[in-house]
Amino acid sequence: MKGVRKTFVSGWLYRIKKQALRGVDLSVPEGVLWGILGPNGAGKTTLLSILVNLLKPEEGLVRVLGDDIRARSMAILQRINFSSGHANFLWSLSVRENLEYFAMLYGLSGTRRKRKIEELLDLFELREFAGVRFDELSTGTKQKLSLAKSLVNEPVLLFLDEPTVGLDPDVARRVRESIQRIHREKGVTILMSTHNMKEAEVLCEKIAFLKEGIIKAFGSPRDLKEELRLGDAITIFFQGSISTPSLEHLQGVYDFQVSNSSCRILVDDHRKRLPQILDFFMSKKVLITDLRIREADLEEVFIALAR
Amino acid sequence: MTRRNFFTVLEILFWPVVGFLSVGLLAEFASLQPDMKAFILVGVVSMGALQVCQLDVSYALLYDVWSKSLKHGFIAPVGIRHMLLGSLIVGMIRGAVVFFILMGASLWLFDFNFMIAGPGPICLFIFGLFLNAAVVGMLVCILVLLFGNRAEVAAWSLVSLMLLVCGIYYPVTILPGWVIATAKLIPLTYFLEYIRRFYGFEPSFSLVLAKGYVMVFAYLLLEILLMKAALGRAKRKGILLKLSE
Repeated sequence: MKGVRKTFVSGWLYRIKKQALRGVDLSVPEGVLWGILGPNGAGKTTLLSILVNLLKPEEGLVRVLGDDIRARSMAILQRINFSSGHANFLWSLSVRENLEYFAMLYGLSGTRRKRKIEELLDLFELREFAGVRFDELSTGTKQKLSLAKSLVNEPVLLFLDEPTVGLDPDVARRVRESIQRIHREKGVTILMSTHNMKEAEVLCEKIAFLKEGIIKAFGSPRDLKEELRLGDAITIFFQGSISTPSLEHLQGVYDFQVSNSSCRILVDDHRKRLPQILDFFMSKKVLITDLRIREADLEEVFIALAR
Repeated sequence: MTRRNFFTVLEILFWPVVGFLSVGLLAEFASLQPDMKAFILVGVVSMGALQVCQLDVSYALLYDVWSKSLKHGFIAPVGIRHMLLGSLIVGMIRGAVVFFILMGASLWLFDFNFMIAGPGPICLFIFGLFLNAAVVGMLVCILVLLFGNRAEVAAWSLVSLMLLVCGIYYPVTILPGWVIATAKLIPLTYFLEYIRRFYGFEPSFSLVLAKGYVMVFAYLLLEILLMKAALGRAKRKGILLKLSE
């Protein structure tokens, strides 16, 4: 997508305007699992909805699988799929019937449809719920059904909109495992939105950080940390005294704070920098009594970017 | 499955049968002449079948709206025309079942033989009736796409308005001039006029069958264009997403 803008208007005479996307450029290569991370209201769902032709942008080019989504929507929709958190399907149909319904919408018939549904029931451990009506399912099982439905047409590209929102940690973990399995075993390209930093860090190879309708940062979790100079924190407890200015000259040091008996040093990568820092302390003839390392996580990136 | 089928059958048959029995018994109580009884029984049977078919067409969107699963339907590679056509076929089958059940019940309970008109005219009438139902059902879908949940009331109220205007229980000629003018814009008026001629009531208008079909196809064509426009607007304004939340 290139230069995509979307504004929602509401209220009397459409006076209230909310810019959901303000010129988004994003290109996703084949075979990746990328994430769109951002706070609530950042425009993540809007962005994914435009990509699956549920929303029309005012401006910008949207190409999915190489074609304009608006011009060739039917052909594209046949090869992509979508799953969202807070899954909703026809409430009076069972798990199996819902899968059958969507399999039919995607043109699967006869034994091919039957085989696909059996495969999905097994893949997502839904067999014991096959005959249970949708409105009687737990939130986690509904979410699994949503993921199962999203694979009914064997998509080459899958959009996941906050797939673990509202799930308890154990179910969320299993859903994340399912997503990884889909990506790894079936080779599906996945673009997922989330505001869960851990999830993005664990699952996504690259992350676009979206805020107020603009991609503020893009890269792998490590790239983002480096870009924002959110390094790893090394805290060294020592006996003796050190001259602080010399710490500044060490390579990879972003920041440091020294007190009487401890020194907290922020570095780009503790694995690379720890030996030279230890050498530095030893050269100053101080006794290191303790050492703690804390890796910067995406949460800090999120907070820094959302600020 | 069995429980759901039971409720589905009940839903399809309940109101048409209740309406039919109420009106039929009222006609018996009022000791109406056979032709008068025929007039209102034709109306009530038609109304029952029309409503069942129309609701099925409206359900093409409404079930998804009620389940908040609308977006999944629109993400699938099927156009709204496919959904509507599929719903119309189901509606026609269900509507025909209701029509023939009530037709049989008319003969059995109230001694009125619908088949006097002959199979040809009845088929032409039923088909026109179902196309009229499609017009109403599609209008409901268009309104839902334009106005969201607020418009779902149209699924039941539009047909009730027709009941007042189109001459279901009385000839349109007894209505005030401006209501007759409105009735003339509704194909159902012409289809009812057409079928009642076989039970002794001369049509109030000329070329009723032709007018009914021309009008119903014109409306369907217009609605296809409106549906496309409404869907485009829904995608611009995010209504599909709102209806899925």
